[in-house]
Amino acid sequence: MKNDTPLLEVKNLDVRFAVRGGDLTALRGISFSLDKGERLGLVGESGAGKSVAAFSILNLIARPGYIAGGQILLEGKDLAAMSERELRKIRGNRIAMIFQDPMMTLNPVLTIGTQMVEAIKAHRRISTKAARDIALDKLRKVQIPSPEKRLDQYPHELSGGMRQRVIIAIALLLDPEIIVADEPTTALDVTIQAEIMALLLDLCEQENVALMLITHDLGVVSQVTQRMLVMYSGRIIEQGPTREIINDAQHPYTQGLINALPQMGEPGARLFQIPGSMPSLKNVPTGCPFHPRCDFATDQCRQAMPDYVRSGNVDVACYEVSNLIEQEKRMQEAGS
Amino acid sequence: MTSPLVEIRGLEKRFDLSGSLLEQITFKGGRFQRKQEAVHAINGVDLQVQRGEALCVVGESGCGKSTVARTVMGLLSPSAGEVHYDGKRIDNLKGRDVLPYRRKMQMIFQNPYASLNPRMTIQQTLEEPIQFHRPELSRDEVRSKVHEVMESVGIDPDWGSRFGHEFSGGQRQRIAIARALAVDPEFIVADEPISALDVSIQAQVLNLLMEAQETRNLTYLFITHDLAVVEHFGTRVAVMYLGRVCELADTKTLFAEPRHPYTQALLSAIPKLEDDRPNYIRLQGEVPTPVNLPSGCVFHGRCPYANDRCRQQIPQLIATDSGTQVACHAVEEGRL
Repeated sequence: MKNDTPLLEVKNLDVRFAVRGGDLTALRGISFSLDKGERLGLVGESGAGKSVAAFSILNLIARPGYIAGGQILLEGKDLAAMSERELRKIRGNRIAMIFQDPMMTLNPVLTIGTQMVEAIKAHRRISTKAARDIALDKLRKVQIPSPEKRLDQYPHELSGGMRQRVIIAIALLLDPEIIVADEPTTALDVTIQAEIMALLLDLCEQENVALMLITHDLGVVSQVTQRMLVMYSGRIIEQGPTREIINDAQHPYTQGLINALPQMGEPGARLFQIPGSMPSLKNVPTGCPFHPRCDFATDQCRQAMPDYVRSGNVDVACYEVSNLIEQEKRMQEAGS
Repeated sequence: MTSPLVEIRGLEKRFDLSGSLLEQITFKGGRFQRKQEAVHAINGVDLQVQRGEALCVVGESGCGKSTVARTVMGLLSPSAGEVHYDGKRIDNLKGRDVLPYRRKMQMIFQNPYASLNPRMTIQQTLEEPIQFHRPELSRDEVRSKVHEVMESVGIDPDWGSRFGHEFSGGQRQRIAIARALAVDPEFIVADEPISALDVSIQAQVLNLLMEAQETRNLTYLFITHDLAVVEHFGTRVAVMYLGRVCELADTKTLFAEPRHPYTQALLSAIPKLEDDRPNYIRLQGEVPTPVNLPSGCVFHGRCPYANDRCRQQIPQLIATDSGTQVACHAVEEGRL
C-alpha cells in the first residue's frame, strides 16, 4: 500500500529544551512516516512527549525548546530547515492543527466568520465574499445546525461540542493534506466525543486527508486509526498497525497500558497496575527509560537503549522481545 | 432489607442567577418587572446508599452529579429535600451537632493539585483532621495513626516532611485518600477521584480504593463520568441527566440491559478496544440549559421515542422486572 515517498516523514528527530543546568531532551530519535490519507495514532501518558511531537511537526516548538537534530520531511522538503516565511505557507494550509481546548484556540472577541475569513485570506488572494462562501461550505461539512447564523456568532455563544466542530471546519478551510489533532475530544463528554470522532473520521476519508491523532485514550485510537505509535519518556517504544498492537502488544509498557484499563479486568477484581510513574525529563533513567517499572528488566536494559526489532508488522524497542525473537530463530535453526 | 446508610429524599438544589433585588428589576414596556432566574442543578433526586456498597453516580457535565455529592457532604445546603445518615436527618444540623457526622463522612476531590494545602507538609496535612476530630489522642498516637494511613495508601511514611508539590499527581491523590481515611470514616464520597490521572496511575488508585473498601468496610458514593470505571468498581449505578436520575440498577444489569434511551446512548458512546469504527447511538441536539428546564421528561427533546405524554408529564422511577428502576414513559408503556 505504501508509496515510494511518504507524505510526511520524520527522521531521527531530537527536540531539547534549554533550561538552567543543561538541556532536557524531550524527544529522542523519533522516526515515523505518514502516507496520504492515512490515520496515525500517537499514544502515551502525560510527559511522554506526544504534544511536543505534534508541535514539532509544524516546527512550532517555542523557546527554550529547539529542534536539536533530525529531519521533518514534507514530500521531501525539510520543515526543520525552513525559514518562518516558508513555514507560514505550510502551516494551516498544507498541515492544519486541532488543539484540545476549543476555547483557547478561538479568539473570544471575533466572530466565527471573521476568524474563518481571516485564515483563508492569509493564504489566498480572494474576496471576502468568496472567503465567506468557503467558510459556510466548511461549516456545513461539519454538520453545524444553521451555519449562516454561526458565522456571525461569537465563540461563547456556542457549546463545547459545537466549538470543536468550528475548529474542525477551520482546520479544513484550506483543504490541507494533513490534520494534526492534539487530544481533540479530551475536554468533551462521551456522547459528544463519539460524534466528533465519527465526524473527523468521515471527513478525513471523504477528503483523503491524513490524520495524526494524539490521545491518551486507547479506545479512540482503536476506533479511528490504522497505525499507531506508543511513546514513553520521549521515545517511540512501539509502532505498527493499530489492530496488531491492540490485540497483541509486544512492549511490556504497551501491554501494561492495555491491561490497566478497567474494561480488561473482571468487575470487582484488582486491576493490573504498572508500578511507579513516568520519570521526569530531569532524570530519565539510563538505558531503556521503562526499566525501573518493568518486570522483565535485566542488566542489559539498565545499560543501553534497545534498538527496534520487528515482530510481525510491529517495530518494538525492547530487549526482552528481541531476545525472544532470537531464541525462536535459534530453535527453528536447530529444528531444521 | 436493612436500613440504608445514607438516604437522599426529594433533593433539589437551585443556584440563584439573578443576584440582589435591584439587579432583578428591569424596566420593560413602560413597567418595572422583577425577574428571577436560577440554575436547576438537581430536580428531585431520591437515592439510597446501602452499607458496604459502592453506589456510582454517572452522567455528563452539568447533570448535577457533583452537586449531589456536595449536598450529601453538607458543603451545599439543599433547596428542598432531606439527607439522612444512618436514620438521622443531617442536612439541617448546625455547629457542633455536625461534627460527629463529618468524621464518619469524608470526601475525596477530583484534582489533587487543588485539594492539598501547598503550604502544609504532608505530615501536617494528615495530622490536622485527626487532631481536630479526635482531640483526646496524644501527639504520639496521632503520629502513629498518620504513619499507619500513609503506609496503607503506599506512601513512604518518611516523606511526611515533604510538601504537596514534591509529589506526582498519583501520589498526591494517594495522600488525599490518606487524609480521608485518617479519621476512620464509614462513608466516603469520591468526586471523580481518578479523572485527572494518567491511565496507568488510574489503575493504581482504583485498586487502592477497592482495597480500602475491603479492609475498612467502607461505603462509597462514587461520582464519575467514566463508564468503564463504573462497570469495574460499582455495586449499583445511578445515571443522571439534567438534575434527575433516569435509571438506577445493579451494575451488571445496567451494562447488560440498559433500559432508558439516554443510558443506551451513553453506553454506546464509550470507545471500545475491539471497535474499528465509532459505533454509537446518535442523539439529536444538545443538553438543554438547566436554567429553563424542558417540561415533562427532561430528555424528551433528544429522545427518539418521545410522545405527547413525555412532553407534559414528568416520569417517575419505576421498577421493572429485572430490578432496574427507570424513569421513562416509553419503558413503562412497553413501547421500548
